[in-house]
Amino acid sequence: MSKNFSRRDFLKLAGVGATTTAILTGCGPASRYVKREPYMQMPEYTYNGQSTYYATTCRECAAGCGLVVRTMQGRAIKTEGNANHPLNLGKTCARGQATLHGLYNPNRVRGPIKHTRGERLYAFDEDPFNGDFPDVAANLSWDDATQVIADALTKYKPNEIAFLMGAAPDHLFDFVTDFTSATGLNAPIRFGALSMFEARATLSKAAENLFGETGLPFFDIGGAEIVLSFGANFLETWLSPLPYTRGFTGLREGKTKQRGYFVQFESRMSQTGGKADEWIPIRPGTEALVALALGRLAFERRGGALPRAFADVNPKEAAEKAGVEFETLERLAVLFADKAGALAIPGGAALGQSNGLEVAEAVLALNAIPDNFGKRGGVYLSALAPTETEYHRPASPKEMEEFTAKLASGEIKALFVHGVNPLFELPKALNFKAALDKVEQVISFATFPDETAVEADYIFPDHHGLESWGYQRVFTGSAQAILSGAQPVVSPFYDTRATVDLLLAAAQLVGGKFAGAVPFKDEVEFIQSKTAPLKNEANGFFSAVDLPTFNASFQQYGGWWKTESAFGAPNTEDVLNRDFDGAEPEFNGEGEFYLVPFVSPTLAEAGANKPWLQELADPTTTVMWSTWVEINPETAEELHIDNEDVVKIISEFGAVEAAVYKYPAIRPDTIAMPFGQGHTAYGRYAEGRGANPADLFSAEYNQAGDILFGGLKVKIEKTGKKLAIPRLESMMGVYGEGLGEE
Amino acid sequence: MATVTDLNISEVKLSEEYVGKWGMFINQDVCTGCQACVAACSMENNIAFVGPEDAGYGRTMNWIRIERFWDGEYPEIKMTSRQPMMCQQCGHAPCEPVCPAFATVHSQAQQLNLQVYNRCVGTRYCANNCPYQVRSFNWRDYKRPEPLPNQFNPDVTVRQRGVMEKCTFCIQRIHQAEDKARSEGREVADGEFTTACAQVCPADAITFGRVDNPESLVSQLTKQYEGLKHLPELGTLSNVSYFKGG
Repeated sequence: MSKNFSRRDFLKLAGVGATTTAILTGCGPASRYVKREPYMQMPEYTYNGQSTYYATTCRECAAGCGLVVRTMQGRAIKTEGNANHPLNLGKTCARGQATLHGLYNPNRVRGPIKHTRGERLYAFDEDPFNGDFPDVAANLSWDDATQVIADALTKYKPNEIAFLMGAAPDHLFDFVTDFTSATGLNAPIRFGALSMFEARATLSKAAENLFGETGLPFFDIGGAEIVLSFGANFLETWLSPLPYTRGFTGLREGKTKQRGYFVQFESRMSQTGGKADEWIPIRPGTEALVALALGRLAFERRGGALPRAFADVNPKEAAEKAGVEFETLERLAVLFADKAGALAIPGGAALGQSNGLEVAEAVLALNAIPDNFGKRGGVYLSALAPTETEYHRPASPKEMEEFTAKLASGEIKALFVHGVNPLFELPKALNFKAALDKVEQVISFATFPDETAVEADYIFPDHHGLESWGYQRVFTGSAQAILSGAQPVVSPFYDTRATVDLLLAAAQLVGGKFAGAVPFKDEVEFIQSKTAPLKNEANGFFSAVDLPTFNASFQQYGGWWKTESAFGAPNTEDVLNRDFDGAEPEFNGEGEFYLVPFVSPTLAEAGANKPWLQELADPTTTVMWSTWVEINPETAEELHIDNEDVVKIISEFGAVEAAVYKYPAIRPDTIAMPFGQGHTAYGRYAEGRGANPADLFSAEYNQAGDILFGGLKVKIEKTGKKLAIPRLESMMGVYGEGLGEE
Repeated sequence: MATVTDLNISEVKLSEEYVGKWGMFINQDVCTGCQACVAACSMENNIAFVGPEDAGYGRTMNWIRIERFWDGEYPEIKMTSRQPMMCQQCGHAPCEPVCPAFATVHSQAQQLNLQVYNRCVGTRYCANNCPYQVRSFNWRDYKRPEPLPNQFNPDVTVRQRGVMEKCTFCIQRIHQAEDKARSEGREVADGEFTTACAQVCPADAITFGRVDNPESLVSQLTKQYEGLKHLPELGTLSNVSYFKGG
């Protein structure tokens, strides 16, 4: 379709009735120019009172769920899940809903800015609800911006230029990969705080050690009959929460079998643990021991020679060390051994301990007892995305430390940052700020005025995800190989520019090898060059006679996926033929409390600037707008601490302050804190709110390179201050006694 | 307040059999408490966020909330099944007779409790009388700075200070589906549309539909799970059934 598309043609093609329900293709690149217009002068193709729906991909986290966005007169009104998309089947999480509060956020970077490091990007007032917070105005033109990038590309040697990008394996990452490999620049690095808290490097390393091939395991909860989870928060932010939530419904509602049983081992009850039939608060550090003990008991129950993996563990001792009844372990081992569809999942803070890799391996090895590998209700290797030949994981924190060291040494002179906010997402211990100070030129492509943008020399804002073209590879969660497609559902609200377009323009300006490396007219041409080979692939869920039809269908359906399962069956010959020493991890610090940092299920790493996410009640504590620290009520009583007392949490490496929430489902020797708040920039709703538990971390790593976020012991000190933390629960229980806490 | 015993039995039966009655079935056993429904509802229905201070006073404007309670003590402690709670669209609604302005009235066509914003004078009697505590009051004109209002759903009124509001079962979606069906000379099909909360729910815990039609999915599920009403002893004849599970 062309830009000169008259109302008459449109009527002929679409038919009046179909327009309200059909998802439009986006009409090729022309849909970029859909403008928001006053209601009195709407463009021809919009009907007053009729909505238009566009399929795209959610960019709130890296999972890659399909969206269908309802738009009306050029405004995005509501996001829904794309019902055809195999990853999320028409559903979204709370963050996917609130993505519109990002699009229309009152604090966005409005255009290209030359900026002095450290200077504010918007005015800030103590009261974010009544003050006026104007954003810093754009002070460059996009031509200037192109020139700045072109200058950087020519001024510095190729090995002095680096790209740091978000965790999403998207078209921009592919573009930069192609661009850098053709011109000899440093290959781009991907990082995200979620992958750090998931200990994704540990999980994939364990799978590699056990199965002999790289890949991210997928756990088919929906087909299982009993699930033992060792801290995996799969109903929250873990890997790909929507398919795992769907799996959980399958576990509970299995139509032909009994309601599945779910046991969670963790020291602090998570949102996921709250759904468990049994929640078992084992002592932090004993996860591997408990897994091995369960393995031995289950094996003995089944009979046969004890494999090497479980031979050395003493189940009674393990139970004692973990602080659980031996009978409980025995009972669960019997359940695990007797049920056909048994499944064990490693995750959470346990993997962020010095023995994290062994925890992951031991728990994965439990799956050898029912031998569920590659079977329904068992462990698969995630399907690779259509344009992918091997699993590519985001950088581990250890690799980020190496990268930070490179910045600090002055080796990197120009840094391009996109889709990640390292000054917030990386623990302070890595000292990214000091490293950044050593980089001559920092260019941020941030959509929002985040902490890293504040420390940049230039900010060349990319469009919001709902304003951009793209695709994203789905790395786990679906049996089908999926390339999720993205298209603008509205025209850019501000004077922003797609980073691919900007880099293309800069490469053209420089000319030579740079121009030759990426011979594309614009971003859309690049994307279509990448998706074009899929047209000829077998088993695609739609077929197209020619490329324009393929491209239109790709947009209309929100991507391309196969109709057959591409799950890998792991090679499991040697899974049980290995030694585990069952040693306990070392904990850092002299404090009396184990620290469990967890990702806020509603805010996650980048949700804090969306006001409705801030006002969602936390699923476990119902707290809103705040950071809190969870302490067992009995411990609190011993220490004479009450709800809303502000305490200082002190590790060897840092200290933060937070108000106490007496949480009844946490071990008395453990305290827990959510990650998601504690911003020093990032817009009026995020700034100056709460604290960041990552400030307490040490820059030490397990064997797989994940930071030891689960391996800290901390002290708490009273400050004498009080801080009211808003929570939803106090308004409940008006009629019945004992319903609410207050 | 009227209880079952006070009511004429035939009247109770009649309201149970009203035609055109919309209702919900909620499977608490699979609800994970993820808050997606709360976010979806606020986006669909132009619900204001109130900020930490008013939130601390219990003035959040949620039309739906997820309740979770504790059962037992550490270490034998459990979170009870998460309980999404929204207006139960009672057949005999305690909120209705107390409104002096006739702002909260019963819709004969959809069998819902309506809230007529431009009649509401803010006495808050209705919220006081609601046994489910699902009504929220606009204590202020809550600010939504530019350009946030671009996201407003044009099908839903933006409420102002002094007005009571509550879940409408996404009546704008009901109307749209009914209008469309009428223009095509047919009945609204089961599952043709759903509410924002049911549509988003990643765990499929919420099912919406016509409860007067025994063939609809919501009726089938209510029957299959022997769905229970909240506070049935009050005789509210709520249109939402729950399965606790667990």
